[in-house]
Amino acid sequence: MRKPFRARAVGAILGLALVATACGSGDGADEGTPPEGDPIRVASFNFNESVIVAEIYAQGLEANGYPVERQLNLGNREVVKPALEEGEIDLIPEYTGTVAGFLGAEASADSDATWEAASAAWEDMGITLLAYSPAQDKNAYVVTGETAEEFSLTTVSDLQSVAGEMIFGGPPECPERPLCLQGLQDVYGLEFAEFVPLDVGGPITVAALEGGEIDVGLLFTTSGVIAANEWVSLEDDMGLNPAENIVPAIRTEVVEAYGDDLVALLDSYSEALTTEDLTAMNARADLDQEDPALIAEEWLTTNGFFE
Amino acid sequence: MTTWESVQEFLSEPTTWSGPDSIWARLGEHIWVSVAAVIIAGILVLPLAVWLGHIRHGSGIATALVNIGRAVPSFGILAIAFLVLVQMGAGVGEPWAVLVALVALAAPPMFTNTVAGIQAVQPATIESARGMGLTEREVLTGVELPLSAPLMMEGLRIAFVQVIATATLGALVAWGGLGRYIVDGFAQQDMGKLIVGAVLVGLLAIAAELGLSAMQRATTPRGMRPAR
Amino acid sequence: MRVLGQTSPLVDWDWIGRNLDQIADRTWQHLSLTAVSVGIGLVISVALAIVALRWRWSYTPITWVTGLLYTIPSLALFALLVPVVGLNATNAVIALTSYTLLIIIRNLVAGIDGVPEAVLEAADGMGYTRRARFWKMEVPLALPVIIAGLRIATVTTVGLVTVTAVLGLGGYGYFILRGLNTFFWTQILVGVVLSVVLATILDIGFLFLQKALSPWARRA
Repeated sequence: MRKPFRARAVGAILGLALVATACGSGDGADEGTPPEGDPIRVASFNFNESVIVAEIYAQGLEANGYPVERQLNLGNREVVKPALEEGEIDLIPEYTGTVAGFLGAEASADSDATWEAASAAWEDMGITLLAYSPAQDKNAYVVTGETAEEFSLTTVSDLQSVAGEMIFGGPPECPERPLCLQGLQDVYGLEFAEFVPLDVGGPITVAALEGGEIDVGLLFTTSGVIAANEWVSLEDDMGLNPAENIVPAIRTEVVEAYGDDLVALLDSYSEALTTEDLTAMNARADLDQEDPALIAEEWLTTNGFFE
Repeated sequence: MTTWESVQEFLSEPTTWSGPDSIWARLGEHIWVSVAAVIIAGILVLPLAVWLGHIRHGSGIATALVNIGRAVPSFGILAIAFLVLVQMGAGVGEPWAVLVALVALAAPPMFTNTVAGIQAVQPATIESARGMGLTEREVLTGVELPLSAPLMMEGLRIAFVQVIATATLGALVAWGGLGRYIVDGFAQQDMGKLIVGAVLVGLLAIAAELGLSAMQRATTPRGMRPAR
Repeated sequence: MRVLGQTSPLVDWDWIGRNLDQIADRTWQHLSLTAVSVGIGLVISVALAIVALRWRWSYTPITWVTGLLYTIPSLALFALLVPVVGLNATNAVIALTSYTLLIIIRNLVAGIDGVPEAVLEAADGMGYTRRARFWKMEVPLALPVIIAGLRIATVTTVGLVTVTAVLGLGGYGYFILRGLNTFFWTQILVGVVLSVVLATILDIGFLFLQKALSPWARRA
């Protein structure tokens, strides 16, 4: 019977489309353990360290029965911050100094003060900053060993006489960032010959430094590449970079929904995380190409959170 | 700042009009890579396509090629090409990875339409040409190619417009072109830059579409044009 | 890896083994983004095609608008929609759907138009009403061309879904982007190969559907 078959075939296609529409993102049907509620959407920025730390929080939460959804590698802060504020994601590991600056709050070398400023600024928008971690990761302005030697560079100020002939490479948002080109201009008076948009302290920036396409690159104080390639991270002698403690930024609603247990759990991870840990984990991810999820799991095990 | 104000602000910045990030520079990069991709794709596939069409084989391959081509994501080819080239020592900001991905994108439609175009020439026409004493080469150049021009031009048109749109992905691998405005505008949340980039690519694509459509009509042999 | 001093193998099977559930998740994401976008695209296209067939003059402006949407590069459309709908699947679906419109509408109209005059006359001769003729003659005969359009739209969409990685989605494109962020071959290859496999499976599926719905062609 031809007609019914054809009708059924067309119906099947449309049906599939409808079913797919109807099936939204799977609701975390996580029964059996006490914390129940909407899935906590854990996000990260688009660089390895952020993914690793987000994985630590995500895996820790999951192991304790919380329903978790991951949205890793989401993008940069310009893109992700609105998502957090609009409630499209719930939790993201942030950096106190940068986020304070982003919110127009006062950031300084003092970890406490910076955290408080950032906290207060975000409270009104329904975002809570939990306890900050001793682990810090600041922007690093890096040149190759040869460049440092050639121009006798040890501090960022040393760039003042040669910046005009140099090319700076960093993430696309760099020219607008107070801790990137904008800050280098305002605080150090540096005007580079050219800016090349690359990635967020990742392998493309590393490749560009290696290949000489850029003279100065934006990496991170915890980037393992710097030591491995014997590059020079120029000293921030005029103190452009404030304290940059890792801190979980979480929507206040979620904190209220899950309560003190959630906070205590996340705090326990933040507390145990150190700068050396970050550097070691980044080296494994960047240099050895290891899986961030695996690295996070091992950290949780080594620090006694997992068996 | 409203979106319109953002556009105005972007258009009022000096770096928008001179220097490596200027509209001229980005437009130039975008155009030359698109043109180069199509030319290279043409050089690579046209001879084979013409020959296969001439000997009346290859429509199977042509169809398969187009299907495979459509199934392979350009973003993927771009990433692979970029990684290979960087690991081989190519510089980071260079266009070769983009070129590879764009050639891969342009080749299938150009190949398929050429084969189809040549095969569409009526066997009777070719027979009579041979009967008139034309050599095989003369049959090819004097009869088959001119008659298949419209379809060949169609393939070129489809390829070129797709290439222009896809070249924007090059910005994801540290290249320039108009995609740079889109990626940077997005990263910096500079709506003005983003919109200018998108609009320019759109205009470029439309210009290419109209220009090549006109060329398609111009290269249609008079006898094949729609009767007035 | 010349740059980072370590050679990452082309395929790290361990990574694949450990990440099978992630791969499964991304498969579902890729499939659903594709299915929903093509599905909605089909619905909208059918509506527009009916308009175009009924009021012929509207076909040109409809193709203009859908053609215009098609020339907006996907990257730009995703980025432009963020302030409007946010960084989520809705954004992706709106953009992906608009890219399907041109090809589906074109094939819907071409399919109906392609029905031979002789058949229409025969139907009229046999006493079919216009509506009956449309649904019982023209649509079934147009189906192969329509399915061909759906086929192209679907395969194209599978490729475009990879670009939604910039929105944090991506389906298999997530692996491609992450692989690019970390110069990790395995992820890129997994992303590309699975994309191609998915597109090919859907392509072949539609091809069978096309053949199944045109039994007269088979007997030729």
